[in-house]
Amino acid sequence: MEGILFWVCGILMVFGGLMMVVQRSAVVSAVWLIFAFVCAAGIFALLSAPFLAVMQILVYAGAIMVLFLFVIMMLQGPVLEGGRKRLALPMWPAVAVPPMAIAVMIIGYVKRHGTTGMGGPAPEGFGSPEHVAELLLGKYLLAFELISIVLLVAIIGALAVGKDERKLPWK
Amino acid sequence: MTIVFDTLAKIGFFFVLIMGLVVVLIWMERKGAAFIQDRTGPNRASIGGVRLAGLVHPVADVFKLLFKEDVAPANRHAALYNLAPWLVMTVAMSTYAVIPFGDYLTVAGRRVPLVAADLSVGLLYVLAIASLATYGVVMAGWASNNKFTFLGGIRATSQMISYEISMGLALMGLVLVFSSLRLTDIVAGQGDLIWGFLPKWGVVVQPLGFILFIVAVFAETNRNPFDLPEGESEIVAGFHLEYSSMKFALFFMAEYAHMVIGASLIATFYFGGYQIPWLPRPLIEANAGLILTLKLIGVALISMMIAMLFFRRAQKEKGKFGDARDREPVLGAGLWVLVAGGALAGLVLKPWTIGPVGADMVASLLQVMAFVAKVVFFAWLFIWVRWTLPRFRYDQLMHLGWKVWLPLGLANLVVTALVMAIV
Repeated sequence: MEGILFWVCGILMVFGGLMMVVQRSAVVSAVWLIFAFVCAAGIFALLSAPFLAVMQILVYAGAIMVLFLFVIMMLQGPVLEGGRKRLALPMWPAVAVPPMAIAVMIIGYVKRHGTTGMGGPAPEGFGSPEHVAELLLGKYLLAFELISIVLLVAIIGALAVGKDERKLPWK
Repeated sequence: MTIVFDTLAKIGFFFVLIMGLVVVLIWMERKGAAFIQDRTGPNRASIGGVRLAGLVHPVADVFKLLFKEDVAPANRHAALYNLAPWLVMTVAMSTYAVIPFGDYLTVAGRRVPLVAADLSVGLLYVLAIASLATYGVVMAGWASNNKFTFLGGIRATSQMISYEISMGLALMGLVLVFSSLRLTDIVAGQGDLIWGFLPKWGVVVQPLGFILFIVAVFAETNRNPFDLPEGESEIVAGFHLEYSSMKFALFFMAEYAHMVIGASLIATFYFGGYQIPWLPRPLIEANAGLILTLKLIGVALISMMIAMLFFRRAQKEKGKFGDARDREPVLGAGLWVLVAGGALAGLVLKPWTIGPVGADMVASLLQVMAFVAKVVFFAWLFIWVRWTLPRFRYDQLMHLGWKVWLPLGLANLVVTALVMAIV
């Protein structure tokens, strides 16, 4: 059962990723990317990481892609472009490079660990919210806090860029 | 194999519950609006002269929507245009997977928990599905290729992004109190009593969180006073302007399904879910016979009273309309007499001598009924609010979401954390 679900999610995810790259309309591309994210969440769930699976949907498929879609729609507008266009030449590297990068990663992994994988079933409580919380707020506390500071700086930067310059407090 | 069957049965229960409530809610909305605006409301559709106070109207609606021509704009984006209504409905229904509607039910010696999927991250799942709910609306707005629908879609997106955050923050306070993300744990924790008399419901331990949450749920369901994505006086009908026939019906049904889900979430998180206050499950099972007997007598008495009200109306309004409507109060009285008679007939079976298996069934049934009663009450709250408050202006909506609700949510979280650390 899990094997079948893995292949279903995996094939659909790769298909979604491919469709995202080859679409002409940016809005439809974004929709295919959401589809790929949801399939990725399915694979996380199969790997006994329920917290990651839900976060994948909540943060990536939900929050981030809504913003993407929002911005794309605002820029592209409601009018749909007509006529078929062939893929522009500079697009080809974008299509070709990611599979090559993935191939390099898979070859590197197989050389190091063999084809059997890391081995062994996941221990009890693996991937649960408690487990993730212990890692994030214990072992990786410093990195976690530093990332949150980076995000805070990014938010303030976005505000500073987006705001009317005459109204900035230091002007 | 039994687990597959169990899960299918639970999905079936929720499907019937949502679809049944959608029909009832459409009727409740029309009659409630009429009641609040001091008019009669729909009472014309009839089957052979029987009008049932407008209850026939949803049936008429279904037939109308099924047989209407499906008109679609020529320059739509066909794939997304067709996907959107389906997506809205699917996402609306899938929240129900994690909502517990009872403790457990013993079937043939097996304890079946009355929740379709008891996820360890149930609360986050609810938030994740809520965040996906935007897409159907946005896609509909964009794919219709119309300025008004597009504006509706954009409004829906910004509104949902804004209120998702305060919704999550309000729920985090609840997670701190019950220290679990599992919905069954949260509901089970609400069965306790504080100081021996106050039920430990979410609304008691998190009053501010409850207000934040209920407003955020109203915003997420796009109901008045937050129905800016539709805003009929500003952008015609918003995101579903270009939809007709059954596709429009899906949007319409999804709105009511969202209401049912919003009501279930409010009941589950803040009003004890299936818990009956001061009546924990062991107590029900120990006194099942007594409770069942009292319940049957109570149902009989209340329906007799309602029947008497109908009789009085039938006598007062004799010959008022001069057509089949005059017989309606008599029909209503007859139906309630039947209910009372059924309840009294149940007493013949000697419910006070019920055995342990029956006691278990009674306890499960009472809990499911408590849950459904809470859901119906909060669904009525949605209707009540819609016909009482005017719509927000867009800037007021954004101001409330980002400058009032977000800081309040953060403050609620910090205060809750401090209290939990001290106590």
